[in-house]
Amino acid sequence: MTNIDCDYLVDYLNGTLSEKENKEFEQHLMTCSECQEIVEATGQLPYLADPVEPPTDMKARILSNVFDETVEQNDQPKALKPAMSPIPIHKKRRKENVWKPLLAAVLLMSLLGNGYAFYQLSDQPAGTETAIQSIELQPNEAFTGTATAAMIEEEGLLNLVVQADQLAELEASQVYQVWLIKDGKPIPAGAFSPNPNGEGASYYQLETTSKEWDTIAITLEPKTGNELPEGQIVLSSEI
Amino acid sequence: MEKSTDTSLYLRVSEQDKAALEELYDRYEKILFSFLYKMLEDRGLAEEVLQEVFIKIWRGKGVYDESKGKFSSWLFRMAQNTAIDLIRKQKKPTVPIEEASQMVSNDEPVVEQVVWQEKKTQIEMAVQHLSAEQQKMIDLFYFKGHTHETIADMCDIPLGTVKSRIRLALKKLKISLHGLQERGAYDD
Repeated sequence: MTNIDCDYLVDYLNGTLSEKENKEFEQHLMTCSECQEIVEATGQLPYLADPVEPPTDMKARILSNVFDETVEQNDQPKALKPAMSPIPIHKKRRKENVWKPLLAAVLLMSLLGNGYAFYQLSDQPAGTETAIQSIELQPNEAFTGTATAAMIEEEGLLNLVVQADQLAELEASQVYQVWLIKDGKPIPAGAFSPNPNGEGASYYQLETTSKEWDTIAITLEPKTGNELPEGQIVLSSEI
Repeated sequence: MEKSTDTSLYLRVSEQDKAALEELYDRYEKILFSFLYKMLEDRGLAEEVLQEVFIKIWRGKGVYDESKGKFSSWLFRMAQNTAIDLIRKQKKPTVPIEEASQMVSNDEPVVEQVVWQEKKTQIEMAVQHLSAEQQKMIDLFYFKGHTHETIADMCDIPLGTVKSRIRLALKKLKISLHGLQERGAYDD
């Protein structure tokens, strides 16, 4: 028998019930059509928000952090996992560039020049992730930013990770666009906008397994989603 | 190919299918980011919360049960509660009460997604059926993440009254929304 009833609806929506009360209210919800309908109605309130364009590189940041969390979790003994504790907000994590550890690993590999060492140093099972190439991009003319690109083969797919810093702030619609070029023909390969620290990163999964690109370039595009470059090249390198 | 439902994607996510999580992310990125931006008024914080939401889904901390309603309602509620936690931890300055009452934007937003626009129109019409006081209650409660105590202080009304006003406002919203959806949103 439970004392939880319709009076708890507002607390339920506001997330202020204890775990036990929350479960009890959800039991109540199963039997109370009015509370159910109100809960469903509030599920439409977010559509009142005016559309806001997310940052172009947010998806890469968030998904890599989400999957990265899993790796960290797996490293911990299961018994130590706080089963129901609130998830902390990782303010510091986001400000760090998520690709730094990966790029560091890639650069290390590049120095060692030996893929075997990667497997020795990594906890990953052999065959899941292989760094193929890492490239320093050269700034053009007056551009002051720097960028590093890395090709990574993961489970048979080719990924391009670009990390840049010392970038100037962009105007609202502008974006840094990465291109892979073969015989003068560019294909878009990720885009990013810098954070307040002038850092940006993109992660792009290539639809082809071809590695025969001759150039990688970053342009400053007037808008996102360009299939062909409109802006000038700010960083580039032969591959 | 048949489009996956949210629930089938969620089930695949619970089996640690990265592609399914990415698809869910793509479906909800813009609405969640816009909603969180409306709540937090800060793009960085909206991203923080969005990330926490997907970490919770990926880790299985938030458990969705189809029998308790639509996936989107569950997802939005989790996002809202995560944002509220952040607001309360940071003791974010409250929005002046005069501004809080301006719930329905007069701007003509450029909306790319037809579905979004349709829903937005419906919910705006339902909200307009509420009194100014009820609109204010929903805004303070739902979008600004205020506790009942804060709302009671801000509006200078007893705590019990705040709760019953919010419930009444939500109930009326539900009735208006049902009415609009049953007879079609664009009849009037």
